[in-house]
Amino acid sequence: MKKIVIPGDIITSTEMNIPNTYNENGVTYATTIGMVDETGRYVPLRTIYAPRSEDIVIGIVVGVRSAGYSVDLGISNYGFIPSRFLKRKLSLGDFVVANIRTIADNGDIDLGDVRKLPDGKMVEFPTAKIARLIGRQSSMLNLIKEAIGGDVVVGNNGYIWVSEESNIPLFMKAVDLVIERAHTSGLTDQISELLKKR
Amino acid sequence: MGEHSDKKLIIDGKRVDGRKPDESRPMRIQAGVLKNARGSALIEWGLNKVIAGVYGPRECIPKHGANPHKAIIKVKYAMTPFASKEEHGRAGPSRRSSEISKVIRGVFEQVIEVERYPKTQIDIHLEVLQAHGGTRVTAINAGIVALAEAGIPMKDMVFAIAGGKAEGNIILDLSKDEDNFGQSDTAICMSHRNKDILLLQMDGLLTKDEISKIFEMSEKAGEEIHEKQKQALSDIYGEKEQKVEW
Repeated sequence: MKKIVIPGDIITSTEMNIPNTYNENGVTYATTIGMVDETGRYVPLRTIYAPRSEDIVIGIVVGVRSAGYSVDLGISNYGFIPSRFLKRKLSLGDFVVANIRTIADNGDIDLGDVRKLPDGKMVEFPTAKIARLIGRQSSMLNLIKEAIGGDVVVGNNGYIWVSEESNIPLFMKAVDLVIERAHTSGLTDQISELLKKR
Repeated sequence: MGEHSDKKLIIDGKRVDGRKPDESRPMRIQAGVLKNARGSALIEWGLNKVIAGVYGPRECIPKHGANPHKAIIKVKYAMTPFASKEEHGRAGPSRRSSEISKVIRGVFEQVIEVERYPKTQIDIHLEVLQAHGGTRVTAINAGIVALAEAGIPMKDMVFAIAGGKAEGNIILDLSKDEDNFGQSDTAICMSHRNKDILLLQMDGLLTKDEISKIFEMSEKAGEEIHEKQKQALSDIYGEKEQKVEW
C-alpha cells in the first residue's frame, strides 16, 4: 500500500543515503512530501530544482551583454552562455536548450552545447514529476509527441518547450493530466485514452 | 490580558464557548489554495482564519542581503483591516505585526534546510483574514503546511498552540475573551518529532508547575494538529471523486 509521508516522517529505520532525506541517529527521515510504496522506495512528490552539472536545461534569454547571454532557468540564479561558444547571435526572448557545464561555488551557472529552439511555447512543469512525463524509455513522451504532431523538449529544470505546429491545447491537457495523476498507476493508459479522444 | 471584566470565563468547569479546559477549537486546513504561489494553505481554527503563501527559493532582493551559505527566510505576518472587531488601522506593517513576523521567522529558520539554497530568499506570507485569539499560532500552523506543499526541504513539521490561565484554571487554545481577560496567554511552538521548543512567549505570570502542565497539554493537542496537517497534505494527492471534464 502506498502511503504519503511528510517532512519528519520515518522512511527507513536504517541509515540510508537517499535524495531529499536526512539521517539522524541511524534513522532516515523525509524532508519533502513524498510517497513510500510497497517496497519501501521513497518518491518525492514536490521538489525544487537544484542544478547539477551535465543536466539538460531549457531557458529563456533575458540579458544580452557583449561577453554573453543571461538565461532564465526558472531558479534563483541565471545561467550564462559565453558568446565565444556560439556561432550565431541570440536575442532577447529566445528559447534555448543547453547543457550545464559548470556550477561555480558562488552559484554561477555556465551553459554549454547551446542550441537555439525555434518559435514555440514554453510550459512550466513540476520537477518532481518529470520522470512520469517522460516515462520508461521515453514511452510517454513519444506517445504525446505522436498525438500532438510536433516536437517536445523537456528540460531537467522543469521548463518544457513545444513546437509551434503541434496541437498545443491537446498538449496542455495531457500535461495537466500528468501533473494531476502523476502519483497514480496506469498513467500511460489514462494519457493514451485522452489522446485517442481527439 | 491585563483588562478586567465582570464576565465569567469558567462556569461549572466549562469555558465560555463550552469547551473543556484541555479542548482545542475545531480545525480545518486546506493545502494548495493559491495557484500563483509555490505552496499555500488556508486554515480555519475556531473563528481564526489565516491564508499562507510561500514563494521561492528565489533571487535575494536586495542583493546585499543575500547570505552566501544559506537561504534567508522572510516572513510577513499581516492582519487585514477587516480581521477583527477592534480597529486594527490601515493594512500594512505595525509594531505588533513586525514583532510577530520576527518570532515566526525564528520558527521556520530552525526547520527549513536553508543550506541547500545559498544566496536565495524564501518568502512566507501569512495573512490573517479573521482574528479570534491566537492568530500567531494559527499562522504558524498554516505556514508549515504551505512550506511542505511547496516542496521546500524541512527537517520536521511543527505545531503551535496557545496555553494559558483563566480564573486559576490552566486552559489550552485560548479564544479572544480568554486571551483578553484571562491571567496568562502563552504561545508555544514545538517541532513534532523531537518536541523541540521553537517559540515560547508568555504574557502574564505562571508558576513552574503550571508551565509544565501547559507543555503536557500542548504536546497532546499537537498530535491532533499534526494529524490535521498531514491530512491536508495527503488530500492534495487523494483520489479525486469528481470526474474531470476535458
